[in-house]
Amino acid sequence: MIIKGFVLKNPLKKRGLIVFSLFVASLFLSFSSIAQTAEAEKNFAQCKACHTIGGGKLVGPDLKGVTEKRDEAWLIKFIQNSQAMVQAGDADAVAVFEENFKIPMPSHNLTDEQVKDILLYIKNGGKVAGAAEEKAETETVQPEQVAQPSLAEQVVEEEARGRKNMYITFVVMIVLLIISLIDIFWTKILKYRWIHIVVILTALWIVSEVLFFEATALGRQQYYQPTQPVWFSHKVHAGQNQIDCMYCHFTADKSMHAGIPSVAVCMNCHSQVKKGKITGEEEIKKVTDAYANGTPIRWIKVHNLPDHVYFNHEQHVKVGKVDCEECHGPVEEMDVVMQVNTLGMGWCIDCHRTKEIDLNNKFYGQYTKLHEKLKNGEIANPTVIDIGGEECAKCHY
Amino acid sequence: MEKQYWQSLEEYKKLKDQSLRENEEPLPEFSIEGLEESEIKGKSSRRDFLKMLGFSVGTVALVSSCQMPVRKAIPFLNQPEDLIPGVPNFYASTFFDGIDYCSILVKTREGRPIKIEGNDMSSLTKGGTSVRVQASVLNLYDDARLRNPRKVEVDSDWETVDRDILMKLEEFSKKNEKVVLLTSTIISPATRKLITDFTGKYPNVEWVQYDAVSYSSIRHAHKQNFGKNVIPFYRFDKADVIVSFNADFLGNWLLPVTFTKQFVSNRHLMKGKTKMSRLFQYESRLSLTGSNADYRYGIRPSEESAILLNLYNEIAKATGNPTYYAPPVSIEIKQAAKDLLAAKGKSLVVSGTNNERIQLIVNAINEALGNYGKTLDLDHPINLKQGDENKMTALVDEMKAGKINGLMIYNVNPAYDYPDREAFIAGLNKVPLKVSFAETLDETAGLCNYVCTTHNYLESWDDAEPITGTYSFMQPAIRPIFNTRQFQDNLVKWAGLGTDYAKYLEKFWEQKIANEYPETVKFSEFWTKLKQDGVLQLDQKSSGQPEFISQELSAEDPLKEGLEVVLYEKISIGAGKHTNNPWLLELPDPITTATWDNYVCVPVSYAREHNLNKEDVVIVNGNIELPVIVQPGQPDGTVSIALGFGRTAAGKAGNNVGKNVFPLMNTSNGRCNVSGTPVTIEKIEGKTYELALTQMHHTMEGRPIFRETTLKDYIKNPASGNERHKIDEEKNVTLYSMVDFDGIQWGLTIDLNSCTGCANCVIACQSENNIPVIGKDQVRRRRIMHWMRIDRYYSDEPENPDVYHMPIMCQQCDNAPCENVCPVAATNHSNEGLNQMAYNRCIGTRYCMNNCPYRVRRFNWYEYVNNNSYDYNMNSELGKMVLNPDVIVRQRGVVEKCTYCVQRLQAGKLQAKAENRELIDGEIQTACSQSCPADAIRFGNLLQKGSVVSEVNKEERMYHLLEELHTLPSTSYLTKVRNREA
Repeated sequence: MIIKGFVLKNPLKKRGLIVFSLFVASLFLSFSSIAQTAEAEKNFAQCKACHTIGGGKLVGPDLKGVTEKRDEAWLIKFIQNSQAMVQAGDADAVAVFEENFKIPMPSHNLTDEQVKDILLYIKNGGKVAGAAEEKAETETVQPEQVAQPSLAEQVVEEEARGRKNMYITFVVMIVLLIISLIDIFWTKILKYRWIHIVVILTALWIVSEVLFFEATALGRQQYYQPTQPVWFSHKVHAGQNQIDCMYCHFTADKSMHAGIPSVAVCMNCHSQVKKGKITGEEEIKKVTDAYANGTPIRWIKVHNLPDHVYFNHEQHVKVGKVDCEECHGPVEEMDVVMQVNTLGMGWCIDCHRTKEIDLNNKFYGQYTKLHEKLKNGEIANPTVIDIGGEECAKCHY
Repeated sequence: MEKQYWQSLEEYKKLKDQSLRENEEPLPEFSIEGLEESEIKGKSSRRDFLKMLGFSVGTVALVSSCQMPVRKAIPFLNQPEDLIPGVPNFYASTFFDGIDYCSILVKTREGRPIKIEGNDMSSLTKGGTSVRVQASVLNLYDDARLRNPRKVEVDSDWETVDRDILMKLEEFSKKNEKVVLLTSTIISPATRKLITDFTGKYPNVEWVQYDAVSYSSIRHAHKQNFGKNVIPFYRFDKADVIVSFNADFLGNWLLPVTFTKQFVSNRHLMKGKTKMSRLFQYESRLSLTGSNADYRYGIRPSEESAILLNLYNEIAKATGNPTYYAPPVSIEIKQAAKDLLAAKGKSLVVSGTNNERIQLIVNAINEALGNYGKTLDLDHPINLKQGDENKMTALVDEMKAGKINGLMIYNVNPAYDYPDREAFIAGLNKVPLKVSFAETLDETAGLCNYVCTTHNYLESWDDAEPITGTYSFMQPAIRPIFNTRQFQDNLVKWAGLGTDYAKYLEKFWEQKIANEYPETVKFSEFWTKLKQDGVLQLDQKSSGQPEFISQELSAEDPLKEGLEVVLYEKISIGAGKHTNNPWLLELPDPITTATWDNYVCVPVSYAREHNLNKEDVVIVNGNIELPVIVQPGQPDGTVSIALGFGRTAAGKAGNNVGKNVFPLMNTSNGRCNVSGTPVTIEKIEGKTYELALTQMHHTMEGRPIFRETTLKDYIKNPASGNERHKIDEEKNVTLYSMVDFDGIQWGLTIDLNSCTGCANCVIACQSENNIPVIGKDQVRRRRIMHWMRIDRYYSDEPENPDVYHMPIMCQQCDNAPCENVCPVAATNHSNEGLNQMAYNRCIGTRYCMNNCPYRVRRFNWYEYVNNNSYDYNMNSELGKMVLNPDVIVRQRGVVEKCTYCVQRLQAGKLQAKAENRELIDGEIQTACSQSCPADAIRFGNLLQKGSVVSEVNKEERMYHLLEELHTLPSTSYLTKVRNREA
């Protein structure tokens, strides 16, 4: 099957890792004391873009031993707003700024307590207390990869399992069907005909259900996760560095296309940031080279709609105020972007049926009858279908 | 008895002969010609079944083993600030091809022009366009365009070409040997200045302007009468009585878009207005203007001067001017004379005949009526058509005598359209340096040593001054696609005036504006605004009405015997500039409804006498073989043939379509005239030629769908002619619940009184909605794909019938017959009143087509994209760039139709939502309504209070097509009113 081909191109992580990670996740959920440290780990994600703990210098200095080198109050102040200190003329701060090629460390909106937690996390060498040993183990398995599997990966895993079961059922049903047919005409072991009939009908029903399910998936690309020409991680950019989606995909609220950012947008940061935490210099060099040589990057389009569908981002992002994640899934957790949803028509319509329209928009003022019904209490919350969101010519023309 | 309308002579015969009518079987919606017997019967053998089974299994296996294609998304390196993928940009520009002018907006998507719209800021065209303007965007993506400059029939590069030509120019300049720059009419003030600068640098260069269809006698007559070599600006909007002699001012004459706007503005009968102008048309063929006339008279070309002089005498008698001897004529002129005299200073007489004698009479009549300064403006003359055929004749003679050393040809094609083209070609062969500035390798460029391949107008910088004091700006909407260079850039370079024409143009304007524009505005701001608006009007001081110098008037004796030919430019391709444009070739002629050919239109009486029928082949003047159309309304003693066909080097679509009839031009009176050459036609027995006429396609079986009245009756009763509307409304009761619309119900109205039938909407629709061209053979099979068509009806006797134009597209019925019969619900009704069509759902049963009483649905019989059998713009990578990315390209086997440009409705609604505001009436326009030069088509929300459409629908002239069927269309029509005494 077509889609299988894509999934296989991107082999799944070792199952053990995932099972283990689920175990880790459940630990986090059950012990609140550990959850606090987990928050520190989460907050440290912001730092990871520029710093390592014992992994050498990235954009900013290696943080190993920083808690011994500087006193806590200074660190808290510096992490919260480094530039203020530099401008105030703090000698240490200015020295750090100069040492790091005057790339300012962004200010972070963290409380003193949160910073202390992070500092503790750094002091422990980047290990969460209580889960430290197991963590180390996983890191030895795949030190470059981030331990926790993303939601998308979990979904794929589940889906793959479901599929496998489905295929097994399909084969079993075919076998049962053949057996009962053979029995009914030739062998005649079972005397009660109704057993055959029930078996045949059930088998036929399940077989056609599976076929129908497979046929709808034809031409769809759910879980499509192609390898891109540049190993670009949304997890690093949108997840850890918290870059807003609309910083790069800035036409999403202006145009039908969300827009793949131009290389110049990448260069806003990567004229300075030359080394990636995971991929090192090689991948970023592809981007800077593209810019220098004037050869655009040929990304592979992940989310594709058939030609007979008209989809407009502006309508959904600006007018409908739909979050990017609602359709694209947890992109900020994906190293390699994957299409999480089916992007099938049923999926679209499901949302149109439930999504309420923003009646504050003056455009909807003209729907006088709708407003009357609202006033009379005939309907409570008008959704997209109340203004024609289920109709062909809203998307097909 | 109810007035009877007919579409063809065959139908007319049926009307007259009841027995023919009863035995008639309606034509099927589509043709089954060319199918085998078994296919028609729908039988298939066991072998067929097995073949199909094998094929389908194979296909399924193949399809299911296919991988989904990998789609690439390639972003910009540096995204330009004003270019957002998915959002169209509009550039104000100007269409000028040497003949027609129009101020336009160019819609670009992702940097490529895809649609031309009218610029409503223009005081001349006011948002209107013509078919040729609409279709010109396709010329940009013409495969016939040259990719590189050429030197002696092979591709070259600019350095070589520059070096060679400069060397020759300097050599000739030193020896003072004559070089001629032969161009089309140039209305750009900057280019005119540039040419003056160029000839200043090379004094041996002489500039000659040439028009294939010349209007020089209007200029010469005004020179004699007023001392000004001008074509006055005509004001049809100020004229209450218009008498036109062979001037097709709604179709092709000078500024058809402007004149249509003007003409119609004085004929709008809305909101109780009861005044409209009256048009008398005396003409030698049935033209578009004639079809809209209130009174129409067929005349021989040789009669024109006599009739005009008789008319002059009538008026002169009443106004006390001298009279002259005029040969007596049988044509009625009393009515016209009476009306003209009653509207002194508010009338207009024009003639489209290029004959000084005639133009002098016209001027004398207008002077006697006091029209100069009122309906004719000499202060703001029309700058089009500056060519003078005498200079051209002199040039050809000099060329033949070997006196010309260099000829530079820009934007003209005399090797095709000069009446004596052999003489021109012979002369050209004696010229050592032949430089052509052409986009394609046309007939003339093919004979030149150098082709300096030029930009398309959508890639060029320029300005235009169509009438003095009114400017229109041209700017590129796309980077040059090929290695080409604008004509003006060459002159700038060769004269050493700078690097490029864009800078020259800016400098020219800065200096010009310094004189004419208030200095308070900074030039940079002014320049930006000019580029934004695309138009500019400067107030000019009137130089006062010049003294009228009367001239001796005379008329020629009319011919009584024989045939006189009238050559004309088709509404579609014109005089041959656009012959390679498949959209235009497939556009049905508004009068004959013919596509893809030219033919001899013969009068009904002549056809009867000589036993000629449609599609018979005749030989004209012993050497041109053409098919015949028996044309109602063609005056006795005349035949008419369209120019612009028979190109041999136009490109893949236009080559060898029809025959070249430029040799039939009338040069007898010293001017090059389209009419009056005596011809003989001879039938070739037994030979026929198939024509692709659409006149009997999609007919409505003679039901009363066109409603009309006269102005007199209209004043008495605004609902006259439309009495049925009330009856049908009363009868329209239903047991079912009515559709209840909330907020939006789209509606479109067509004022049949304004519509001139110019077909602009048809091409606008084709351009907007990716409608394929299917070729002559498919058109013959009644498969033409146009979503909107213009039905043409006749009434009365075929010798001089009344003509009616009726645009018809999907009526968006609220009670749609097509919706009920679709087995897969591919067509159904939207909450905004649209009869929507989901192409991807359609399985092609064509039930809807059978059930549609308006016959507006079209079926894709073949894949018209990427198909070598339909080798038009959709079969070429370049040609496909014109496709509108918002609209799907339909595949084989689905039904398609108009949905009021639903993509525009969605975009307009979204814009309002994004800006958090209500919809503004008129902000959303369909492609057909946006650029209608007659303002006949209006579009809007019927539920919006005070919207134009809801107001128009209150008119008593309003009716729905076939309303007795209770289909409840959203499209409405307004009755046609003719300004007649009886």
